[in-house]
Amino acid sequence: MSEAVETTVDEQDIDLTGANQILDKYVDFHGALMPALQEIQEFYGYIPEPTVHLTAERLNIYTSQIYGVLTFYAQFHLKPRGKYIVRVCMGTACHVKGAGRIAETIKDRLGIVHAETTEDLKFTAEYVACIGACGMAPVIMVNDGTYGSLTVQKTDEVIQKYLKMD
Amino acid sequence: MVNLTIDGKQISVSKAATIYEAAQEAGIHIPVLCYAKKLLPYGACRVCLVEIEQMKGRLIPSCTTPVSEGMVVTTTSEEIKKVRKTVMEFLLVNHVLDCPVCDKGGECDLQDLAYELDSTSNRFEGEKFDLPTDEVNPLIERNMNRCVLCGKCVRVCDEIVGYGSYSFINRGFETKIATAYDRGLNCEFCGQCLSMCPVGALLPRPFKFKARPWQLKEVDSVCGYCGNGCTVTLGVLGDRVETIRFNDKIGVNDGNLCIRGRFGYSYVNDQERLTKPLVRKDGVLVETDWDEALQVVSDGLLKAQGGQGVGFLSGARLTNEEFYLLKQFAKTVGTENVDHSGGECYKGVTEGLKQTLGVAASTATFPQIDKADVILAIRSDFYETHPVVGMVVNQAIRRNDAKLLIVADKKGKLNKLPGAKTLLSKPGLELDVLNAMAKVILDEGLAQTEGVEGVAEFQASLANFTPEKVAARSGVDAEALQAAARQLASAKQGVVLLAYGLPYQGLNKELATAAANLAILTGIPGREGGGLYLCGEKSNSQGAIDLGILPQNGGLGAQAMLAGASNGKLDALYVVSEDPLSSYPDRDKVAQALEKVPFLVVQDIFLSPTAQLADVVLPAVSFAEKDGTFTNAERRIQRVRPGIPSPGEARSDGAIFSALAGKLGNNLSFTSAAAIFTEIGKDVPAYAAIGFNELGAHGKVWGGETLSPASRKLVAVGGGTTVEGEFQLVVGSALYHSGTVSTKAKGPLAVLSEAYAELGREDAKDLNVAEGDLLKISGNGAEIKLKAKVDNRLPKGVVFVPYHFADAEVNRLYKGEPAVSVKISK
Ligand code: SF4
Ligand code: SF4
Ligand code: SF4
Ligand code: FES
Ligand code: FES
Repeated sequence: MSEAVETTVDEQDIDLTGANQILDKYVDFHGALMPALQEIQEFYGYIPEPTVHLTAERLNIYTSQIYGVLTFYAQFHLKPRGKYIVRVCMGTACHVKGAGRIAETIKDRLGIVHAETTEDLKFTAEYVACIGACGMAPVIMVNDGTYGSLTVQKTDEVIQKYLKMD
Repeated sequence: MVNLTIDGKQISVSKAATIYEAAQEAGIHIPVLCYAKKLLPYGACRVCLVEIEQMKGRLIPSCTTPVSEGMVVTTTSEEIKKVRKTVMEFLLVNHVLDCPVCDKGGECDLQDLAYELDSTSNRFEGEKFDLPTDEVNPLIERNMNRCVLCGKCVRVCDEIVGYGSYSFINRGFETKIATAYDRGLNCEFCGQCLSMCPVGALLPRPFKFKARPWQLKEVDSVCGYCGNGCTVTLGVLGDRVETIRFNDKIGVNDGNLCIRGRFGYSYVNDQERLTKPLVRKDGVLVETDWDEALQVVSDGLLKAQGGQGVGFLSGARLTNEEFYLLKQFAKTVGTENVDHSGGECYKGVTEGLKQTLGVAASTATFPQIDKADVILAIRSDFYETHPVVGMVVNQAIRRNDAKLLIVADKKGKLNKLPGAKTLLSKPGLELDVLNAMAKVILDEGLAQTEGVEGVAEFQASLANFTPEKVAARSGVDAEALQAAARQLASAKQGVVLLAYGLPYQGLNKELATAAANLAILTGIPGREGGGLYLCGEKSNSQGAIDLGILPQNGGLGAQAMLAGASNGKLDALYVVSEDPLSSYPDRDKVAQALEKVPFLVVQDIFLSPTAQLADVVLPAVSFAEKDGTFTNAERRIQRVRPGIPSPGEARSDGAIFSALAGKLGNNLSFTSAAAIFTEIGKDVPAYAAIGFNELGAHGKVWGGETLSPASRKLVAVGGGTTVEGEFQLVVGSALYHSGTVSTKAKGPLAVLSEAYAELGREDAKDLNVAEGDLLKISGNGAEIKLKAKVDNRLPKGVVFVPYHFADAEVNRLYKGEPAVSVKISK
């Protein structure tokens, strides 16, 4: 179902200057919604709710319509995301080779499942379909780094490595 | 025209028609789900598939496919049935089948389709939806488990209402209709979406479990609130109006309504309605019978007429027939002191339009707005006062690319419509902006001056209204003003809109005159398509003017009557269907008059604050109990029909006047509303041409769809004056309410239950005020306290207060000026 996002208190305090500057480029320019949202996401790391209302107001598009777009495309994130995005491949090859256990391990160590973020905003887990490295299944990616032929123990090592980094 | 064959029948239809429309015209039934007459073609549900001989091999959606010459269409075959059945099966995979507890039962398109297609089993099995129903809002129950994703709610809220509450969210199986962030609905609550929903996914909550549709008696009448004159079909069970039924077959509103029309009916059933006459004895109002009440009233009026005289203050929600009887009754009493709606707010029509165009009404009809290419809305409240005309404006813009210009002191919904150009002026200086636009049009040689009187004098009067000077005074950008003037001048079918009513008392004559000047200079009045519209606040504001509920032959106007009552120059006031104490500007003046006047009669449906001061209170009836006609703001005379009996001993205003006149020796009893209507024709020539029984499905517009002005005379009007001081208070109507009566209606109250003081964000920040904080607002020697509402509609320095709520007493501050200088503190 949809991610029903509640506005958190800190979201109210979000500095909209960045979003305003981005939107400056897109007012008076038809069909600007997608690129504007992409840039906003790049800037904030996700799409904070106040920027959605701002976008609605400045581009004169219904908030509901923007929400429709945001929930339709998987590329948009409505919640803050961690510094490290842990993509767990759930494609066929990885599935057969035990992706379930890998996901379990991550849940166990970091306390997050698909689309969840740790409270300290360090990790976000995402379950994805084949990432094209079936030869080394099961595979995870942490940001741009790929880790293959994983076991529970190897997964643990990867997690520990990132836990130690800022 | 295009010729085609449908199911062997030869048909000839307009070439703009779709196959579905052609079939309908020929009386051939094709099932549909996502099609709606008033929405753009969509083609999502595939229930309406047909076969076309020329396109063999696939089935074609009839609702989106235009007809073409020689087409041969088959609407039912085994294959079509099979496909439709499959479509049904897919819809029913996830649809909960809770018909026994669904209020749509009996008029559900999905039920009907299942019946028609004999869908009893399903080859597919799937998870049923189990979504929470939206219990947050008070008026529209949303149960998305029943939704068939036809998209009508999404489309109507965008295409017609222009609000945009909904969209499709998510993908695949999880697709559903939701509001932004999937929260509870929080919108205008016009209910257009529920009127379009083919299933029970959107239902009126106040009607929940009240009745099955077939138990309801349907009575077509006219909305009792504003001058838009929308058709409302009362859904009556026993002696109660239980709902308003969807009806797009008759009237001028295409089945569209605003919250007041759709959800504002409950007051007619209210327990607090007056059911017996009341007479003051030993200082208290006590119930009595009609004999005594009428005797006291006629004695009191006779005595007063023998002394300093009687005055009549009427509201504008009586029928034309009742207005006629009121007038005759006043004559019987021997007075010309008759007025309505406070006596000032309508002067834009009776004086402004009269002195320029020689008519006292809008020059065209609402459907013409749809075809306009340029629309000028003066005072953005138009959307709030006449929401359904606002919807027509929205359609003109979205569908027909009309350009919208707004001259107003605050922003509103109209400003958000695509491409709207807003000239935001300081309160009261809209007048200067209109004058400056006229100057630009004249100076640049864009004016149409053939047959126009007073051009030279008028042009000379505008020296002080150069765009630059007006820009400096009003805050409007000079170039934007010039551009707007040029755009209006370029209109082939221009529309000028101006609403009036009790909370808009200042500069009415002047604003209307300036609007008429502009209209004349741009060739608008009398031209087919487009026109100048002055729209009254109440359901029969225009009728009150047409019937002459005005001071004539030296009679006193409302304000003079109030003054007279205060200083001993009038011995009786007779107030009909109006609550001056709550709604007229300058509460103190009104209170003094009502307290001092020796004899006060109030005729109303509730014991209003005014009625509480009366010597006699006569129980009258609501619009839902009346028989007669209303004339809306485009001069359309429409039938008002009684749906329910009057409570207790309440009598219609007309019946009361007849009875009283009879007591005073004037026989005013007529056998029917039709008979009175015929009499009206003798007094009001424009009505003579119209027969009561000819008022068909769309009423009759007096003077014709396009009214030719009797004159085209430019009249100079001076500018407004800037209100000094840090804050300027403007009062007005809020979308959810109309006059004071809607404050007795549960629907509107559920959305807006009390007055507020609205501020812009900047001011709120400076004052350190948050939404809901209690504010002290003082000015004109009075102070009131109201909760703050903060948003981005108001420019800096302007505060808005809706005028409907008696207990807010905003009329202690507001004395009829365009804006009041006030101080605000926490
Ligand atoms: S009630 Fe009116 S404004 Fe609200 S969602 Fe429905 S159509 Fe839109
Ligand atoms: S809620 Fe009703 S109108 Fe809206 S998409 Fe669902 S079925 Fe259609
Ligand atoms: S209040 Fe006015 S706009 Fe609303 S439904 Fe009634 S007549 Fe129509
Ligand atoms: S299935 Fe995991 S990489 Fe292809
Ligand atoms: S009615 Fe034609 S596709 Fe839905």
